[in-house]
Amino acid sequence: MARALSSMLLKGFRSMEYSRTTASASGSFLQQRMRFSSSVPNDSDTHDDFKPTNKLENSEITLKDIVEQDIKDNHVMLYMKGDPEQPRCGFSSLAVRVLSEYRVPIHSRNILEDPELKNAVKAFSMWPTFPQVFINGEFIGGSDIILNMHQNGELKEKLKTSSSE
Amino acid sequence: MGVTKEQVESALRSKFSPSHLEVVDTSGGCGASFKVEIVSEQFEGKRLLERHRMVNGALADEMKDIHALSITKVLTPDQWNKQQQSQTSQPVA
Repeated sequence: MARALSSMLLKGFRSMEYSRTTASASGSFLQQRMRFSSSVPNDSDTHDDFKPTNKLENSEITLKDIVEQDIKDNHVMLYMKGDPEQPRCGFSSLAVRVLSEYRVPIHSRNILEDPELKNAVKAFSMWPTFPQVFINGEFIGGSDIILNMHQNGELKEKLKTSSSE
Repeated sequence: MGVTKEQVESALRSKFSPSHLEVVDTSGGCGASFKVEIVSEQFEGKRLLERHRMVNGALADEMKDIHALSITKVLTPDQWNKQQQSQTSQPVA
């Protein structure tokens, strides 16, 4: 069951750096998502075992926090339809193709698998459509903007500035 | 149902008084997908992201029924003229 819940969080997230270990920073992050999941009323899948036991219990962890964590942790964060290996929309596919040109790690989440996350991302960026690209925590735009910035050289400059300090 | 090309055009015309506007229905007629080229003085001094936000905002009502809006060009008249000069082979609308 715990595995089911954590896979719910990891579902759609593509990254080389994330693992299923619960001891790491991303582990506490998992629990945040679990708390969110288990707060759904009348969910027959919930169980006392999954009540949060850490001090985050009373904090208001939202999907917005997950988005903020995503874009903070990942130099290039892409919210898309499908995943980079198999995009489910031409625009998402375009964004992946453009970003792949730069040979940088691309972290992504498949918003088709999580309508709540989808809405949270839209609200966060105040942007109506997907894909959505964040670089160094900054919302860059959708596929039109990415393509445009690729063509005029701005994307190269954006990606150059490393998030590591 | 879907949104018409004319609805998209009139929303954009009233908001931006564009000197050039081209809306193409890329949905094959069902009105769910459009490609937009727009040139307006109102984009002066605005970053690309802000310009896209302005266009998205102007079409907020229509966006509810549009699945895909591709804004291929969102330019100031100056930028547009420069592009036209450098790409004379491109068909002028």
